[in-house]
Amino acid sequence: MVLEPELMLSLYGKMCRMRAFELGLEREHKRGNVPGMLHTGLGHEATLAAISANLTHTDSFFPYGRCHGLAIEAGTPGEKVMAELFGRATGIGGGKGGPHPLADPSVGNYGVCAVIGSSLVTAFGAALGWKLQNTDRIAAVIVGDGASGRGEWHESMNLASTWKVPLLYCIINNGYAISTPVGTSHPTADLCEFAQAYRMPAIQVDGNDITAAYEATRAAVEHVRSGKGPYFIEYKTWRWQGLWSGEFRPAEEVRYFRDLHDPVKMARQELLRRGIASEVDLAALDKEVDAEIEGWIDFAKSSPQPDPTMVTANVYAGMEVASR
Amino acid sequence: MKTMTTVEALNGALDLMMAENDKVFLMGEDIARMGGDFGVTRGLMAKYGVDRVRDTPISEAAIVGGAVGAARVGMRPVVEIMFADFLSECFDAIVNSAAKVNYMFNGRLTAPIVVRTATGGGFSGGPQSSQSVEGWFMNVPGLVIVAPSNPYDAKGLMISSIETDNPVLFLEHKALYRAKCEVPEEKYRVPLGKATVARAGTQVTIVTYMRLVREALAVADDLAQEGISVEVVDLRTLRPWDTETVLDSVAKTGRVVVASETPKMGGPASDVSAVIAEEGFGFLKAPIRRVCGLDTPIPFSIPLERVVLPGKDDIKAAVRKALV
Repeated sequence: MVLEPELMLSLYGKMCRMRAFELGLEREHKRGNVPGMLHTGLGHEATLAAISANLTHTDSFFPYGRCHGLAIEAGTPGEKVMAELFGRATGIGGGKGGPHPLADPSVGNYGVCAVIGSSLVTAFGAALGWKLQNTDRIAAVIVGDGASGRGEWHESMNLASTWKVPLLYCIINNGYAISTPVGTSHPTADLCEFAQAYRMPAIQVDGNDITAAYEATRAAVEHVRSGKGPYFIEYKTWRWQGLWSGEFRPAEEVRYFRDLHDPVKMARQELLRRGIASEVDLAALDKEVDAEIEGWIDFAKSSPQPDPTMVTANVYAGMEVASR
Repeated sequence: MKTMTTVEALNGALDLMMAENDKVFLMGEDIARMGGDFGVTRGLMAKYGVDRVRDTPISEAAIVGGAVGAARVGMRPVVEIMFADFLSECFDAIVNSAAKVNYMFNGRLTAPIVVRTATGGGFSGGPQSSQSVEGWFMNVPGLVIVAPSNPYDAKGLMISSIETDNPVLFLEHKALYRAKCEVPEEKYRVPLGKATVARAGTQVTIVTYMRLVREALAVADDLAQEGISVEVVDLRTLRPWDTETVLDSVAKTGRVVVASETPKMGGPASDVSAVIAEEGFGFLKAPIRRVCGLDTPIPFSIPLERVVLPGKDDIKAAVRKALV
């Protein structure tokens, strides 16, 4: 199966922007300009582009920490996402949330929860909310493999399937929860096997292959939107960054994923092979994307820090509560 | 006006709000077919249907986490956690999700949910079904904690709780479900965050809430026979609590007893005492006295449980000490 040239090119554009965003962010983090803990989506670009391209602004998605790419592709101005990651007043959360919320309901982004896997039940509730409102809107929850250890994994899937709520489970299985390989902490390393007991349709795809990831997501969204209940996609992929530990994975594995099975490289090769774009076209695209990201970084760097008086704002909604 | 129990008053509040707003829906264990362990939701499934009054499996995280998600897409969920002790199972959804939504998303998303739960001891429920857990949640900015002492306040506070955009933990003391008083059948509000002077007096103030308001009023009656004038302040909301009403009362009487059914360490009585000491020290003619549960789990045995839980005699003894 091949994707239409125009679609392929648009998905590749998303992937390049995500890659450049993360590389720029990582560089600034190393320079000490980005506070806190950094989790990037480097290596997840095909999966994230596939998810992003198949949801609409009126759906609600619940991303996890490696989904900066989803935030920018959903349509939140990139400079506001970047500024939030820099903790600045101009950020999408006014610098209060940082990397984890990044929410923008106007584009369907309902925010990250830093407690891994808690979004599974929140997204279940959003899907229930859409169902009760008789809309064709759906909810999507994007979690890593680590979330499968939570009790919320069970509570969410059990109820979502029993009540047939419109929820898409996007499981980004990059093989490791921080340093722990999935297969050493679960009876299986293939998480889609869990879906069977919940009587939920499920598919496992190569999350580095944009065509496979896109097609699986498109079919799953169609299923969920038609009112047939939840759907489970496991995207098998890999992440570049070792979370705290630095690189701890076998050299051979690192070489394979960074050199031979990098989603951005693979998509680029396909574009060239199919004659959809030339080297010159793609170099121009790279340049354009880099300039865009550097512009966002400049905006973030030159933005003011939040005013200290803002610290007590929005603790409660519509209630003035004195901070003593 | 009609004489109602707390159960009837709460049921009436839910009924009124469900009739008025189709975004209000209920979820919880055994709340639909059975009407809840204490009958608070009885008859509502028949009236509003199974979509809006939903029996869940034993999945506290999905009940509250789901409520947070449904609220994000415009619903107004009122959910029941059978016993307050089980809030441990949805602590994350309350503390990390609901209470932080408005702040992390800088006012662009709210979590208008009500979590109802039966609290308190005195029924041989044993160590895991008798606790007063408000102390667990006093430390959570963004959360509203409501604790009514009578049917009138219960109904008015429930209506305010459903209407506010903030997440509310709504405590219902088991000993008060069958308490009765005059309650209007129509809609009215009791404001969140406002205490009330349940009985005016001049010589000593008892600050308390829920079951112990009844005990405090009985103490005031008894001591009036001896010519001692006791003022009783019913906090009604524990977070944010009404410092103004409490400090006004202490300014008048100069003597204060703070009573709470929680273990003494780290509970609401500690916080109220601390604020009086910080901001009302000049009014005090005697040390502040706390009357609380013992710092032990709550035992099953009837005589042992009586030792642990504070009652009328403990409050009376503390008032006498405060008067020395």
